[in-house]
Amino acid sequence: MNILFLQFLLDIFFLTIVFLHITKKNFLVAIAYGVQSFVVLLILLNSFWETHNYYLLIVIVLTLVIKIILAPLFFIRLIKKHALIFSVNTYLNIPLTLISIAALTFMAHSQKFLPLTNIVPANQAILALALSSIFLSLFLIINRKGALSQIISILSLENSIIAFIIFAGLEQSPALQIGVIFNVFVWIAIASVFVSMIYQHFGTLNVTSMKNLTD
Amino acid sequence: MASFLLAALIGLLTKRRNLIEFISVGASVITLVASVIIALKVASRGTYNLLSFFSIDSLGAIIILIIAFIGLATTVYSVPYLRQEVAKNIIGFRRVKQYFVLLNIFLLAMYLAVAAESPVFAWIAIEATTLSTAFLISFYNKPSAIEGAWKYLILNSLGLLLGFFGTLLYFTSINLNSGDFVSWQSLMANISHFDPMVAKIAFIFVLIGYGTKVGLVPMHTWKPDAYSKAPAPLGALLSGALFPVAIMMILKFKIITDATVGVLFSQQLLIIFGVLSVAVAAMIMYNSKNYKRLLAYSSIENAGVVILGFGFGGFGIYAAMLHLIYHSCVKAILFFSSGNLLLKYNSAKIKNIKNALGILPITSILFISGFLIVTGTPPFGIFLTKMYILSSGFKNYPIAAIITLFFMAIIFISFLKHVSSMMYGETPAGVEVGEGNKWLLIPPAIFLILVVVLSFYIPPFLHTLINDVALHY
Repeated sequence: MNILFLQFLLDIFFLTIVFLHITKKNFLVAIAYGVQSFVVLLILLNSFWETHNYYLLIVIVLTLVIKIILAPLFFIRLIKKHALIFSVNTYLNIPLTLISIAALTFMAHSQKFLPLTNIVPANQAILALALSSIFLSLFLIINRKGALSQIISILSLENSIIAFIIFAGLEQSPALQIGVIFNVFVWIAIASVFVSMIYQHFGTLNVTSMKNLTD
Repeated sequence: MASFLLAALIGLLTKRRNLIEFISVGASVITLVASVIIALKVASRGTYNLLSFFSIDSLGAIIILIIAFIGLATTVYSVPYLRQEVAKNIIGFRRVKQYFVLLNIFLLAMYLAVAAESPVFAWIAIEATTLSTAFLISFYNKPSAIEGAWKYLILNSLGLLLGFFGTLLYFTSINLNSGDFVSWQSLMANISHFDPMVAKIAFIFVLIGYGTKVGLVPMHTWKPDAYSKAPAPLGALLSGALFPVAIMMILKFKIITDATVGVLFSQQLLIIFGVLSVAVAAMIMYNSKNYKRLLAYSSIENAGVVILGFGFGGFGIYAAMLHLIYHSCVKAILFFSSGNLLLKYNSAKIKNIKNALGILPITSILFISGFLIVTGTPPFGIFLTKMYILSSGFKNYPIAAIITLFFMAIIFISFLKHVSSMMYGETPAGVEVGEGNKWLLIPPAIFLILVVVLSFYIPPFLHTLINDVALHY
């Protein structure tokens, strides 16, 4: 694929994370994760076209089934089951969140992180954007108060790392990639059970309501 | 490892509690025997390889020995412990079954992490330890247990993803062709191609990532919550076995980083995290209200001490390795005896435990012995390892060593204050005098004997393994 098209894909990826920061509806959060995973799938397809490694097709199929179909379905079912229409607030308000996003994006593009963005000099702009996505996903985990949003933030961080390593030429053997995806699948299942348990015990997904354990 | 897989599968399929218990203990015994044989082989012949996917060096051999001993003790102790909880109607058969299945998966994952030749496979196995233990922490299905398990799941997953990112950055030294298999050996062989700046950033990510699993400050916040809510036997495994596995991961990346950028960079980072961990643990322990949380903070302190030993270098590394072994054994004593206290008093609050010495004399002696050992009271081994680590620090980093010594003294005072308040006083109403099942006493008693023996005599093969670790790491 054309490098500009790949850059465009990563722009969409980046925008899904920005969207995850500002959206108020859980349903849209689940859909945004699906879109983000679809972008990862397209990037993986590009990798397959370049390498002709047919084992990568298994990874692609698993990504499609687990991240694009099953995970969003899991989350939507959870949202419907507990009527979780609106997501819990963020710690920072939207203007402050956007300022933080700008600062983190600037940081990822700064000289400090040049050793990382310059791993493949031809992909420097793309790697800087992927690194920004990693930072924004990290910030998403910290800034979100909702248990469901935190799960999707963790998954978004995983997607961002995958995007980074593909463009940095650090892809692992397909067997290990399958292992990682299997891990993600189990993680989603376990985390979803925990979300249900949190709702049953606390009546909300707001993690700030969990105050039983203090010193 | 296959025995744990089999035990987990049988646990899933059968409805007979005795069979689940028997198979689980059997799997642990088999693994203990295999671990001892492997450790002896590594001590005499060097790294042990199995296929091209598994490899155990001296460090790995020590860690699998720790996992095997603590694993067997935990499984044996869990049998009477859970039976008593069933008798008290705290849990039902389904929970017992779930416990042993997850326990076996947890043990299997730890062995895989230690033996894996690929850093990514090791990462997958460590992630599996998080997934298998999350439901064990929420075992009692109470709001506080869910809270502890949630924090554990989110913080550890976040940490491990950062560790994953750091791990992959190490692969920049290798010219990967469409997903080659990268081993620890190939990473070491290619250090000349590793960009020093990338190495530094990668090590920071790895240290934060696996440091979260170790429980280093400031990534420690999950530890007191998880330890206090998990069933008591699991605390011994989390503190005694999982913590060394995570330390091993940091050390494996440390030697690659050291070979690329020199030892100073990683040493300084380890010292900062080490001192912080000891200091923060000391400050919180004094006002601790829950004895299981007290033990969790003690683990954070000891994680700091071990990291400091590796940071100070020299003889500190030998002492840190020995400290790791002693700490695992003593945490088994403390968590098992805390389990006995919990069964008797039905409370983990320090203020609710009174006259333990009169009510549970043997358990109390075990708990007091554990406290004396873990705080570094002479003549036990931890006293010597702490002194060796500090004396290594006094040479090059005197301020860090003095600060650590000061906070170690505070930890001793804090522990003494809490233990004495638990051991004496008036017996609470409704608490009967007398120990429970003898199998609740045998595992911690064996570890007490083991710590005492190891304090004065290190078997030659173990000495060889520790020396080899000190030489390479």
